Amino acid sequence: MMTPEQAVVASIGLCVAGAVLTLLVSRNKTVAGWLAFAITAGSAALILSAVAQVLARGPAHPEQFLKMPAVGFALRIYVDGLTSIFLLLAVLVAVPAALYSIRYMKHYEDYGVARYYPNFLLFLAAMYGLLSTTDMMWFFFIFWQMMTLPGYALIRFENRKPENIRAANKYLIMMQIACVATMIGAELLAITGAAASGSETLKYDFDTVSANLPALLAGKPAVTALAFALFLVGFGIKMGMWPFGQVWLPDAHPAAPSPVSAMLSGVMIKTGAYGLMRYFLWLVPPSAVADYPLANWGAVVAVLGTITLFTGTMQALKQEQSKRLLAFHSIGQIGYILLGTGACMALLPAKGPNATVLAAIAFFGALFHVLNHGLFKGLLFLNAGSMLLATGTQDLNKMGGLMKFMPLTAVTALVASLSISGVPLFNGFASKWSIFVGTVQGGSAAKYLGVCAIIAILTSALTLASFIKFFGVSFLSRTSALVRDKAAASLRDAAALEVGAMMQLPQVFLAALCVLLGVIPALAFQLIGGALNASRQGCGIALANAAPMAGGAWRGLENLHGTALFAPLALATVLALVFVVVCVLSKLGAAQRRADVPWLCGYAREAECHRYVAHNFYGEIKRYFRWLGGMPKPRAGAVTDPGSQTTNH
Amino acid sequence: MKTLLPILGGLANVAIVLVIAPFFQGVLRKVTARIQSRQGPPIWQAYYDLLKLLGKEDIESGEIPLMQRFSVYLSLATVLTLACLVPMGFPAPMNGAGDAILLIYLLTLSGVCTLLAGLAAGSTYSLIGISREMMTMIALEPLFAVAIVIGAVHTGSFRLDTVLNGSVYATGVPVSGVIMLAVMLLSFQAFVQRVPFDISEAETEIMEGPLMEYSGPKLALLKYAQMAKLVIYSALFVALFVPWGAGLPFGLGWLAFWAKVFVLVLLVTLVAATHARYRIDQAIRYFAGLLGVAMIALVLAGYGY
Repeated sequence: MMTPEQAVVASIGLCVAGAVLTLLVSRNKTVAGWLAFAITAGSAALILSAVAQVLARGPAHPEQFLKMPAVGFALRIYVDGLTSIFLLLAVLVAVPAALYSIRYMKHYEDYGVARYYPNFLLFLAAMYGLLSTTDMMWFFFIFWQMMTLPGYALIRFENRKPENIRAANKYLIMMQIACVATMIGAELLAITGAAASGSETLKYDFDTVSANLPALLAGKPAVTALAFALFLVGFGIKMGMWPFGQVWLPDAHPAAPSPVSAMLSGVMIKTGAYGLMRYFLWLVPPSAVADYPLANWGAVVAVLGTITLFTGTMQALKQEQSKRLLAFHSIGQIGYILLGTGACMALLPAKGPNATVLAAIAFFGALFHVLNHGLFKGLLFLNAGSMLLATGTQDLNKMGGLMKFMPLTAVTALVASLSISGVPLFNGFASKWSIFVGTVQGGSAAKYLGVCAIIAILTSALTLASFIKFFGVSFLSRTSALVRDKAAASLRDAAALEVGAMMQLPQVFLAALCVLLGVIPALAFQLIGGALNASRQGCGIALANAAPMAGGAWRGLENLHGTALFAPLALATVLALVFVVVCVLSKLGAAQRRADVPWLCGYAREAECHRYVAHNFYGEIKRYFRWLGGMPKPRAGAVTDPGSQTTNH
Repeated sequence: MKTLLPILGGLANVAIVLVIAPFFQGVLRKVTARIQSRQGPPIWQAYYDLLKLLGKEDIESGEIPLMQRFSVYLSLATVLTLACLVPMGFPAPMNGAGDAILLIYLLTLSGVCTLLAGLAAGSTYSLIGISREMMTMIALEPLFAVAIVIGAVHTGSFRLDTVLNGSVYATGVPVSGVIMLAVMLLSFQAFVQRVPFDISEAETEIMEGPLMEYSGPKLALLKYAQMAKLVIYSALFVALFVPWGAGLPFGLGWLAFWAKVFVLVLLVTLVAATHARYRIDQAIRYFAGLLGVAMIALVLAGYGY
């Protein structure tokens, strides 16, 4: 039986070997695709066994591989609870993305997959490594580059489009800046490390740095503050935090092939969240908390998170390209994760009857939102990929009425849209609920948190608005000229517009998880509770001891002695019963049904120029927040649309 | 008994809302007519309308009729579920199913269903209405959230029976509570979608917006949901801001509660009958101002005022 650490190293090795193999067979897209999927699934099985072991039996011990003591170099791997949650997220998104790729990559007629599958697997291996290494310098650097460079290659996959190359270059530059910032931070913390700890341990290891931190915090507060500021910048760039995220993220996500967008948005940017949590909360030992200005860092992170979620979502509201809209929402949702983490950091040292419990609730929310965002955003990018495959465009203005032609994709997209908007009974609500409970009640200890919470609630309404538009104009509304043409063409080729089973399956899988975690969120909270219990280091000890959640499948979530509660199953039952009553009510009159076209005030037929498209939505709000930036380029051919002047109310 | 009580209470609330909502609508129409020197329809007209609509032909103009049906049914179902979470003369029956944050989001969900219904119908006028309605919701959701959060901050609890019990005045009559009362009064017309904030329906302009394409039983359900919303929002408002008299013996307290709700409905009618509709940009500016004031109230509440 492998230890969790060995399992992780084995899965990294498997992916790297798989990268070579897929390169060899890359002439045949189908074989390469299935091979990559098999390897992803194999590595996922290894990772899952590691995660299950850690959650069931607690973490094992850090293990060293590739030792080179002379230069302080060893691959030291440690899988604890926090790492487990992120590893779990990685496999939950990677396996559907790999399955989806098999068919999706065939539609690129001009591009081979030699630059796709090997990079995909290296990218995945690097994330496994980055999430489980304890080395803050060398292996951090190696895994970071192993993630960045294949990522770069994947973003510029369609390298005949100049805008994709520009996007990839921006991504590369920002990631290198982030890498340098984080490594300088690590060097600052480790600078006194070697002398204090002797030659046996590694200078840049979490444990060494953690052991030296109390002295460093007491002796050189300015240096440690600088180091932590650099960590915030480095991981902030990776996460897409304001103001860094807007620089690279909205360009990079749409440029990549859709399954890779799902991986970028669902998993890769979460490694930044992992780094932030690990460095700010797990690194500082409890003995040094008195010298560590955790509450101030919490304030900075929470306020940055609030700015991030508002700006990201407001800019997303303006978008008219499907994947670009989703990319801006990644920034917005990362803001919620930052807000939860920041609130946790702000409340942990606060004095108050419930401060620690509230901190833990906020952290549960942040970690749950990490999982949820991976699921629903991964799903949304797959949906966008299906729409791209069916219509050949990312332009929402040209879409409409797709639900008639691709019902399954539409239903999964609806689930994902409702999840990301935080509609009750979907998973996004449960995590946001937890963040709001923490921030609103934490407002008594840190006053700004109440205002942050209201801005976050406002922003979730903005998210809803954006996804009403996204879902409404593409799947509902009226069939657009483009969709009608595509549907007619696909009928001629005896093929449906709906994607095949191999692309439906990953979407259905992710949608089912969204609903499951939405109706029984206690599952996720038990998982996170177990994970925190298995990562007792630094502030993690206080968080694990707080154990804020009670409840179960039927009772739902309960905390703060039942003063905050949410029982989705009970709610769902009531809703279902009332729904049946309403159905019966509507049948009472035995009314006849008849289908007809919408009434257009007497005009004979509806033309393409009468359709209300994505561009027309929310004109006033877009106008008031023009200064916030992110406006899409003026629409080509907008002049031919006589409605655009009068109908954007 | 312990499990039976919420079920009975929930049934009672649903029944009350279903029975009383058309009555309020009838009163509203009658009083409006009198203010405008008209005779007005009989007070029971809303019941007749609903019954008549249930038997009329149901024309489905959308390309996905299933989606139309689903969202229309869900729209009324959500509103009725909400009724179980709102106190109507006695504490909310489904206290154990959720807290105040859930309430905020469920109120939004009931709006979302109407939006989906309009989107599924696919008429351009519907979509214009949806765009407007959504912009209004963006401004209104945080306003209501501030009112709830102030209550939660004062009482330290999110429980519905604690928050929806005049919690904004939990510490005497604080400044923040009074400010929020004013803010909510000034925006209440928008919550119940009446003139001057019925911009998303605007009969004379975009012909009922999201409802435009609906007829027969579906229109009856959507209208029913809208009437029920007036009752539910009024009950919420009374529970949150006008708790006085709730301590009376059961029967009297219950009567006092519905008397307060009735007065509020009359107030809504009066404002609706004497004002002209705002444009959407004017309304957004107005809500933004109110939201600014509400934020000040929230900060004051944080400091105990």
